[in-house]
Amino acid sequence: MKKLFSLMLACIMLLSLCSFAMADGYSGELKIWVAEAVVDFTQQQVEAFKALHPEYADMTVVIQPVGEGDAATNMITDVEAGADLFAFAQDQLSRLVAAGAVEEVEPSNAEVVKAENDPGSVGAVMMGDTMYAYPMTSDNGYFLYYDKSVVTDPSTLEQILADCEAAGKSFYMEINSGWYQTAFFFGAGCELTFDSNDEGQLIGMNASYASEEGVKALKAMIDLHKSPAFVNGSSISNATNIGAIVDGTWDATAAKEVFGDNYATAKLPTVAGFQMGGFGGFKMLGVKPQTDDDKLAACDALAAYLTSEEVQLARYNAVGWGPSNLNAQKNEAVQADEALSALAEQLAFCAPQGQYPNDYWSLATALGDDVIGGKLDDADDAALLEVLKGFEATCEGYLSK
Amino acid sequence: MTDLEYLKLSKPAKMGYKTRKFFAALPKKLVGVCKKLGQGIIHAGAGFIRGCKDTVQTFRTGDWKTKLSFLVMGFGSFARGQWGRGLLFFLFQTVFNIFMFMPNAQFSGCYYLGKLSTLGTVETYKEGRRTVYGDNSFFILLYGVLTLFFIVAFIYTWYVNVKQNRLSEMILKSGHKLKSTKEDVSALMDSQFHKTLLALPTLGVTIFTILPILFMILVAFTNFDATHQPPSKLFTWVGWDNFRQLLSTDTSSYGNTFSQVLLWTLIWAFFATFLNYFLGMLVAIMINKKGIKLKKMWRTILVMTIAIPQFVSLLYVSKMFAADGLINSYLMKWGWISSPLPFWTNPTWARVTVIVINVWIGIPYLMLIATGILMNIPADLYESARIDGANAFQMYKKITLPYMLFVTGPYLLTSFTGNINNFNVIFLLSQGKPLSLELSGNAGYTDLLITWLYKMTVNDTNYKLAAVMGILVFVVTAVINLIVYNMIPSVKNEEDFQ
Amino acid sequence: MSKKHEVPEVDIVIDEEAGVIREVKPEKTRSKKGHERRVNTSIYVILILMSIIWLAPFFFLVFQSFRSYATESGGMVDYLLPKQWSLDNYKWLLESQESNFLRWYGNTLIIAIFSAAIQTIMVLSVSYALSRLRFRGRKLIMNVVLVLGMFPGFLTMITLYFLLKQLGLTQTGAIPGLILIYVASSGMGYYISKGFFDTIPKSLDESARIDGATRFQVFKKIIMPLAKPIVIYTILMAFMAPWGDYVFASYVAFGSEPNYNVAVGLYRWVNVADYQGYFTRFCAGGVLVAVPITALFLALQKYYVEGVTGGAVKG
Repeated sequence: MKKLFSLMLACIMLLSLCSFAMADGYSGELKIWVAEAVVDFTQQQVEAFKALHPEYADMTVVIQPVGEGDAATNMITDVEAGADLFAFAQDQLSRLVAAGAVEEVEPSNAEVVKAENDPGSVGAVMMGDTMYAYPMTSDNGYFLYYDKSVVTDPSTLEQILADCEAAGKSFYMEINSGWYQTAFFFGAGCELTFDSNDEGQLIGMNASYASEEGVKALKAMIDLHKSPAFVNGSSISNATNIGAIVDGTWDATAAKEVFGDNYATAKLPTVAGFQMGGFGGFKMLGVKPQTDDDKLAACDALAAYLTSEEVQLARYNAVGWGPSNLNAQKNEAVQADEALSALAEQLAFCAPQGQYPNDYWSLATALGDDVIGGKLDDADDAALLEVLKGFEATCEGYLSK
Repeated sequence: MTDLEYLKLSKPAKMGYKTRKFFAALPKKLVGVCKKLGQGIIHAGAGFIRGCKDTVQTFRTGDWKTKLSFLVMGFGSFARGQWGRGLLFFLFQTVFNIFMFMPNAQFSGCYYLGKLSTLGTVETYKEGRRTVYGDNSFFILLYGVLTLFFIVAFIYTWYVNVKQNRLSEMILKSGHKLKSTKEDVSALMDSQFHKTLLALPTLGVTIFTILPILFMILVAFTNFDATHQPPSKLFTWVGWDNFRQLLSTDTSSYGNTFSQVLLWTLIWAFFATFLNYFLGMLVAIMINKKGIKLKKMWRTILVMTIAIPQFVSLLYVSKMFAADGLINSYLMKWGWISSPLPFWTNPTWARVTVIVINVWIGIPYLMLIATGILMNIPADLYESARIDGANAFQMYKKITLPYMLFVTGPYLLTSFTGNINNFNVIFLLSQGKPLSLELSGNAGYTDLLITWLYKMTVNDTNYKLAAVMGILVFVVTAVINLIVYNMIPSVKNEEDFQ
Repeated sequence: MSKKHEVPEVDIVIDEEAGVIREVKPEKTRSKKGHERRVNTSIYVILILMSIIWLAPFFFLVFQSFRSYATESGGMVDYLLPKQWSLDNYKWLLESQESNFLRWYGNTLIIAIFSAAIQTIMVLSVSYALSRLRFRGRKLIMNVVLVLGMFPGFLTMITLYFLLKQLGLTQTGAIPGLILIYVASSGMGYYISKGFFDTIPKSLDESARIDGATRFQVFKKIIMPLAKPIVIYTILMAFMAPWGDYVFASYVAFGSEPNYNVAVGLYRWVNVADYQGYFTRFCAGGVLVAVPITALFLALQKYYVEGVTGGAVKG
């Protein structure tokens, strides 16, 4: 029975391969948006793809540097002028789906994606039961970069701040970002997730910010802001006087440059007795809805290729982006990477990032700005609880009716 | 209150009286404006009816050439030898007909006009995995409005064409000759020169300003936003819902935020206008003072902030004031402060900082303007004041200031409304930050209405609310203009300056 | 003030009531002169302080542009003077294969030249027509422009984008597209030059008309030569504006990097997280943009002053 089944499976695979090979190919133009750092890399990979698939050899591929932040906004503004394949960070997915600016993943590719990538990244590309993008990296998380000569013990935030203050250095963390902020709230044990349906709408919310834990987290943020060493920020080359910074793998090269021999990484510290948590996020590759079947097939094939095990590994080797592919993650070099292992250590305390309404990010910035602006400096627990209640209520207002 | 009673009042009381009187007269003035508007409409209506009557009359009494011109535009002109005019009329009619009744429905005016009431009904659907786009609400609305423009233009041209026939007949009857095409052309360089001059600018403004503004006003009554984004999704008419969302004060609406942002916009415009005005004037007086050397050099140094593109200078200055920017770094290195000054993070600091940096940008303009005007103040005024024993401050108060205010009154108004829409300074310096839970809709404490509008358009693609905001900015600007225009007599009559 | 006629300024006072000329006591004069000197000194102090504040950011910008991105640090730092002065940033901008800077610079230059030329024609046409010619609808046009001007500029951005797109003038066509947008509605900015035309005496036109000149000839032969200052002012303004336009230029050209203008290109280096360590290159680029523009502006300063004062007085 088992044999028969595997035979059938092999047949089906062969058939699908045949149909793949028999596809008409595509020789028009195809536009890709990726971050500046990987333009050259993507160019090489596209050449490799063409060599592998002769039916696409005549295809003209244009690669433009459009950052992961801008891509979604541009796609939504004018989907026609947008790229056929575009890389974006996962917080943009619900927007893109709601605006109809991203195509569902081809069903057979979706099966492959599910089988080969880590569960968090698979969850991140799903809206309801539909898969809308190809996971590309699994490194969109943050951890601590620090200067060994300044920070003596990176395990508690209190100690890091004391060391920075003593050395006259700064501790950077972007606490007015909805992304970094969860390090406090999730770490203290709060929850904030949204349920989505297939149309890209968010229909339910599970939140426990307005709780004792939430107050604890908010107080930790306020204490952090009160330290003279604290600076709000997460961009390493814009930081002028770093003792330590909470940042992601994409800044690893810059961090090595800035810290030199004193470069060190660690998971996030504990604060007020709890381990800081946060989001484990992902970068993904989306395909634009197409009016031409051949072009769509080309997009599907190229997207699948650019997010495959080999290319993810190659991307790691070229620019250091951590793969979401399970096999690639097992690679020795990836395992040995200092920044990635700090990230992996931190991800153990993180929740995989799901779907959030676009307005959540500006609301979180508002909360962070209130903390940084000193508005909550003198608030007591009850007042903080009120603030968080308001926060939750506003979040709930973002749900689709 | 009699004149005598008024004169007895103290200065603040006089001010209060005047202000009260102004606001008491405001309803009357508004009624006056409405009346004028009403009269205008009645006037236009009467003109329209007269035009209709004339047209009917022309058809009744006109000869066959005229009658045929009702159907074939320009025929009369052709038949009477004015082939240039005839050709233009005929061409216009042909283009119009092609546009309206093009065989390819997707491009014809009638198609868009027909869909205007729903803004499209065919949803985008899938054929297999291929996407087949349905109606595009955006283009239906845009071309719908364009078609309406075209129809109005056509009716007007048609009317002119009829009128032309009537006039030609009258001229011929009276025994005069009609203008030849050659004469028509040379008139465009002489008696009709304004048409030549204004043709292109009018066309440009109609297509790239009036059409888009009308389009956006209509968008304010639709649900065009991130979840109703053509070509994938349709949007449709929703009436006044968006106005309600922006202005009502229940929790999910933006009313409170709107009033806060509006208030700050007005405060900002006030300081940006008057602080710069007085400081700029002061600087001009200092530089122009007798005995100060190197006048040209001082001026040139200050003018640098005008010359250097703002995206360079303001972006750089914004970074200078950051928590870890140069200013804080050096203050801390020198031990003057122990923690960074919250230039961009504390709401009040941020507001003061943008106003102060704007002084840096604004003083030079005012200095230049004031320099020019100060030189025009008759020197003997000062001379006699000096002889009367007036000190510098008194002379400033009694001569310089009134003269400046009188001459630059209109400028202050345009500058105030200009500052309401002063996008660059806020966008490049603070981007509206800091945000707060007390404000909603991504607005921050230094956001002006215009920067908020920009965020809605670009970051949130929430075009419906951006459109409402645009209309409200217009209303605010218009109200201020109306009030001030009524207060400054000198701007009313432009012929006075000639 | 010529030396010959110099009269001691405050040494005598005309007492009108008494009808006599009184001599002011010498001690008072001296103290007044001392006062004058003190006032002037404090003015100098203020002016010097202001000059420092006004120029400092630009000097800082220049300093930072000489800090090498390759050997020192391309990001932001908390010190002013580079540890080692280098031209690396400039070299990178002008010579590197990766850098599109020259392309952006060229784009902006093209936009500036064309929009200056066409915009000047538009503005002069409109302001001349509205100032010198009397025709039906003149008041209406002025009122409509006034009302249109009260709508905020960015309101119509999305509409303009799609209008341009219909003409194929976005992304790769962004440069002609931007020129079109800058130019199309520029006639609305007629106030200042109309104010200028208003000051030219009408009798000039009339006498020429009596001599048989057409209105076009009057415009060309009589008014234009007199309008040189305002023509230069209009050209200057139209030429400078495109260098600073980030908002619309980025909206029209998105995605197509070779078609950016300098403002869009450089802005991204500071505000988009993908560009780590580009700050000093931003500074160098900023200097390269600012220097020629500033030089041009300072050279034509005189006309600018005439324009703004004229505009301010005329409203």
